Amino acid sequence: MDRREAVKSVAFLIGGALSATTIATLFDSCNEPGKNSANLFTADQEKLITEIADIIIPTTAKSPGAKAANVGPFITMMVKDCYPEDAQKAFVKGLEDIETRSKKDFGKSFFEISVKEREQLIIKVKDETVAAQKTEKEELEKAGKSDKTDEKQTSPVKAAPMKDEKKTKPMFFAIARDLTLLGFFTSEIGATKAYEYVEIPGRYDGNMTMKPGQRVWS
Amino acid sequence: MNLNTKATAQNTYDAIVVGSGISGGWAAKELTEKGLKVLMLERGRNVEHIKDYTTAMKKPWEFEHRGRLTETQKESHPVQKRDYPYTEFNESFWVNDHDCPYTEVKRFDWYRGFHVGGKSLMWGRQSYRLGDLNFEDNLKDGHGVDWPIRYKDIAPWYDYVEKFAGISGSVDNFPSLPDGHYLPPMEMNCVEKSVKKRIEDHYKKSRIMTIGRVANLTVEHGGRGNCQYRNLCSRGCPFGAYFSTQSSTLPAAQATGNLTLRPFSLVNEIIYDKETQKAKGVRIIDSETNEHIEYYAKIVFVNGSTLGSTFLLLNSTSPEHPNGLGNASGELGHNLMDHHFRCGASGQAEGFDDKYTFGKRANGIYIPRYRNIGNDKRDYVRGFGYQGGASRGNWHAEVAELAFGGDVKDLMSTPGSWNMGLGGFGESLPYHENRVYIDKTKKDKWGQNVLAIDCEFKDNEAKMRVDMMNDAAEMLELAGIKDVKTYDNGSTPGMAIHEMGTARMGKDPKTSVLNKWNQMHEVKNVFVTDGSCMPSAACQNPSLTYMALTARACDFAVSELKKGNI
Repeated sequence: MDRREAVKSVAFLIGGALSATTIATLFDSCNEPGKNSANLFTADQEKLITEIADIIIPTTAKSPGAKAANVGPFITMMVKDCYPEDAQKAFVKGLEDIETRSKKDFGKSFFEISVKEREQLIIKVKDETVAAQKTEKEELEKAGKSDKTDEKQTSPVKAAPMKDEKKTKPMFFAIARDLTLLGFFTSEIGATKAYEYVEIPGRYDGNMTMKPGQRVWS
Repeated sequence: MNLNTKATAQNTYDAIVVGSGISGGWAAKELTEKGLKVLMLERGRNVEHIKDYTTAMKKPWEFEHRGRLTETQKESHPVQKRDYPYTEFNESFWVNDHDCPYTEVKRFDWYRGFHVGGKSLMWGRQSYRLGDLNFEDNLKDGHGVDWPIRYKDIAPWYDYVEKFAGISGSVDNFPSLPDGHYLPPMEMNCVEKSVKKRIEDHYKKSRIMTIGRVANLTVEHGGRGNCQYRNLCSRGCPFGAYFSTQSSTLPAAQATGNLTLRPFSLVNEIIYDKETQKAKGVRIIDSETNEHIEYYAKIVFVNGSTLGSTFLLLNSTSPEHPNGLGNASGELGHNLMDHHFRCGASGQAEGFDDKYTFGKRANGIYIPRYRNIGNDKRDYVRGFGYQGGASRGNWHAEVAELAFGGDVKDLMSTPGSWNMGLGGFGESLPYHENRVYIDKTKKDKWGQNVLAIDCEFKDNEAKMRVDMMNDAAEMLELAGIKDVKTYDNGSTPGMAIHEMGTARMGKDPKTSVLNKWNQMHEVKNVFVTDGSCMPSAACQNPSLTYMALTARACDFAVSELKKGNI
């Protein structure tokens, strides 16, 4: 008996007292991180993540970039620890696709193409992801109108969605960009050199005049 | 025989306080200061002030997952993970849901922390008085039972607890929101000041916007340091700058030398003595060893959180109290309420591009209730207040969907647009059918049965939410906010973590569990002073009222004890 079946049986044994949302939550919790999380990425893929992150957040005149902030290893760790198996698979597939496309479009590995070419490639992936998210959103909205979410829900006040209740498919570039931004702006370099970090402000000023080159407080 | 007597003597106190959160801490402080030997029982571990706030001084990059949850944490916390409170930043303050399951007849998000201090460590700290508008609503519109007290009964106790706890705020002279004793208010930022002025001018002060009244110290108070504007309160404050059991009531209780605090003490039953018709003590399960131990006292204060206390009372059955202690009315477990929220409007403020804020204010603004007051009559009863504020983050309209690159990074490193939002907190009615009861088909980690929760919001709340959205948009627009958008993100009972009402006070023992002193009608030496006592929810954040009711009940209990009445 798989876990999904086991949960259903438990719900049955206790007289169906579990609401549909609870059962959904229990199903959700069956999505444990992949058993082979430790070996999720090849050594080349780990390097590839580092290079892609540095295209998303490169060094500029104003501050260092993702590579300097060690964002690559952060992303691989996060994908291993904080994502369910389907998202992990989508992420690895996305990395494989980047390599395949680089070879197809430029005849070389992503590691060997120029920064300009890397940007061109990532822009394409980004545009495709934006388009796919748009289509998905439209489909969800269409489906949502006829959707009976929880037959035990009789309240005229709609239920709140659960925080990580994802109805959307995991998409490689959306995850990669999200983790790059998170990893960079919360890294010591990002938080202190791109943003400005004040550990203990000690006071509040609600009408501070911006100084030239004012940065966001981390 | 001799040994037993000795053991009984060792386990005997003047008073037992069940729970160590906001109201339990107050009970311990008041009772010990009045000279009683008090045993405070806490089901979870000890958390020592400052020393055990293990994440309080960590920098953003010192959190391995930067605040996010691992799949393992999501698996062990299927309820706690449903909304914002449970994160890596204070993950040790939230329960493992598998240890303490409950049955959701309908979805109810039950957020819990089992440790000394309870939710006083993670609370939102907004501290508002209830007024006669609130105390009279049940009587006027016929929902629930009449409050057995009025504002004049509790006002001196609000004074008393505010002076000790340290609440910052401003005096506004607004009829629906009584003023209190405040430390200097936190400052509104420039956008908030502008919005305040335009709203108050437009409505000629029939609606006002004030700075949040918050249990954060704006100046040193009672030996505690003032707020450092880090906005990291929910990790525990190493400066003691917000009210918690640890920062405030526990040290006061300990200073008397009259307090015994016993962590890992899950109170399973209040022991009823049919000879005296009083409680003679409690039976606990040591939550580490599973050992069962009895403690005895003349008075029992029940402060285990609304649903925790209600479970304990329902679980304390005897031939004389077959349906739970003091439950001849049948109301114990009924009338569960929570605020409904996640509904309002927000938009962008223009004209403040050269202004920013310094410091992180752990507080927002408040618009007290103005609906269904005086001549205002809506298609629902009661009302709502707004919390909100203006802030400036890194959001820039020019950054397109999923955009990346050096320019994007540089732009995101500079302050973006000013956003101003208002989110309603609505009163829900005390519906008899919104209830909890004991589900004997399931057991928790300690072998206890569990609670079943059957609660939902109804038409009155749904109608109120229309106003909560539209009024917010209207006020923001007339205050000059641009691109105003309304939202209703849905609200599920439990999410506001303001659960209340399942052991309500009332005048009539036939329809209520507690009298006007939070004393059980049927068991005179048992007092319940947490959120379960509330006959109505009002729309204000409730914790300050629990503090005041607790201090008032302690004063009454000790005077009754001295008179020999209990």
